[in-house]
Amino acid sequence: MSNATINWRERLPDSLRLYVLTDRRLSRGRSECEVVQAAIAGGATAIQLRWKSGSMREAVDIGRELKAICAQSDVLFVVNDRIDLALALDADCVHLGDEDLPLDDARQIVGDRMLIGYSPPTLEEAIDAERLGADYLGVGPVYGTTSKSDAGEAIGVERIAAVARAVSIPIVGIGGITTGNATAVVRAGAAGVAVISSIVAADDVELAARDLRTAVDGARRTPA
Amino acid sequence: MNRSAIPRLHLISDRQLCDLRAFSTVAARAVAGGADAVHLREKAIAAGELLAAARGLRSAMGDAAMFINDRVDVALLSEANGVQLGESGLSVADVRTLGDGRLLIGRSVHDVEGARGAAEDGADFVIAGHVFETASKAEQAGRGPRFIASIAAACSLPIIAIGGITPERVEEVIAAGAHGVAVISGILNADDPACAAARYAEALAKK
Repeated sequence: MSNATINWRERLPDSLRLYVLTDRRLSRGRSECEVVQAAIAGGATAIQLRWKSGSMREAVDIGRELKAICAQSDVLFVVNDRIDLALALDADCVHLGDEDLPLDDARQIVGDRMLIGYSPPTLEEAIDAERLGADYLGVGPVYGTTSKSDAGEAIGVERIAAVARAVSIPIVGIGGITTGNATAVVRAGAAGVAVISSIVAADDVELAARDLRTAVDGARRTPA
Repeated sequence: MNRSAIPRLHLISDRQLCDLRAFSTVAARAVAGGADAVHLREKAIAAGELLAAARGLRSAMGDAAMFINDRVDVALLSEANGVQLGESGLSVADVRTLGDGRLLIGRSVHDVEGARGAAEDGADFVIAGHVFETASKAEQAGRGPRFIASIAAACSLPIIAIGGITPERVEEVIAAGAHGVAVISGILNADDPACAAARYAEALAKK
């Protein structure tokens, strides 16, 4: 693990409570660092650097700042897709989708240096991913979403429940999640929720994060 | 880095001219004709597909050096010999660490400043261009062999010239200070990639 004092795997269910993905296009002119600082102040427990366009050099510069901000608050720092970037940043975790590098190959490169998250498109792939060593799963889109153009049809909380029953690693719901519907996602069996626009595009990022975190914590305390 | 360790005839992929499935076969033919490096440079495809293509290429192209553009993770998993970095790619220092010192590192440069930077950062070679006008960069005029001479004066790294280079023009870019040449359409558009590569290799062997 990158930080010898933290066993991220053990802490994962707590670190997945409020997982925020960066998205420059949705951030209304605010920098990644500004958004992430506010999100963490409001209660974000994981931050994913999602770098879809722009140079790698800039990704490294911003990533180093985000990693430092996360480390100060014991927040899980995740890099999307690029294992080379994740390693260069000494990230705590890399997150892969089904078109990214395969899980077994990814594990071969990162070994025990970092966790690996995976977004399985189907229930079968969720089960396979656990067997191939994924540390957690991102399952979605739970509700309709406009943040990811390639996200596919909404799958509903029923799929969260089905995946939660089928695997023993923690899962996080993603896609169209708001303060109003987060409770149902957690009650269906998710450790937490992953969001993009409901936080990074909010008028008040910190407040939006606090509201969502409160909803998640409430649902975790009082399972349906 | 010993200059003789740097390949001199580089073939670079371009899906617009040759799709990835056909590319392994074309690359193998080019290697048979004398290409000693093949670059997979495909920016718009997902990493999973890129890795599959790189593994296919690796097994098709024998001992020639394989370079992956930009993605060090794919390079490591496909047993590439090196990576080719754009001017805004990962830093040479980061790539050295990631590759545990085993990867050759090329940097693509477009001006003297970029070439100086690549040398200061410790790259193993530069691909400099483009030298002549080319369909793949139609909006930019070629800068001629003098451009290569200006790079050579500013940086001691081996220079691989790119951009509109035909076998007939190899001699003048080598005379201007290039160590070798990189080719896209000159091989990918040829009826016989092995024959086309052989003509470049012969021109390179003259000097």
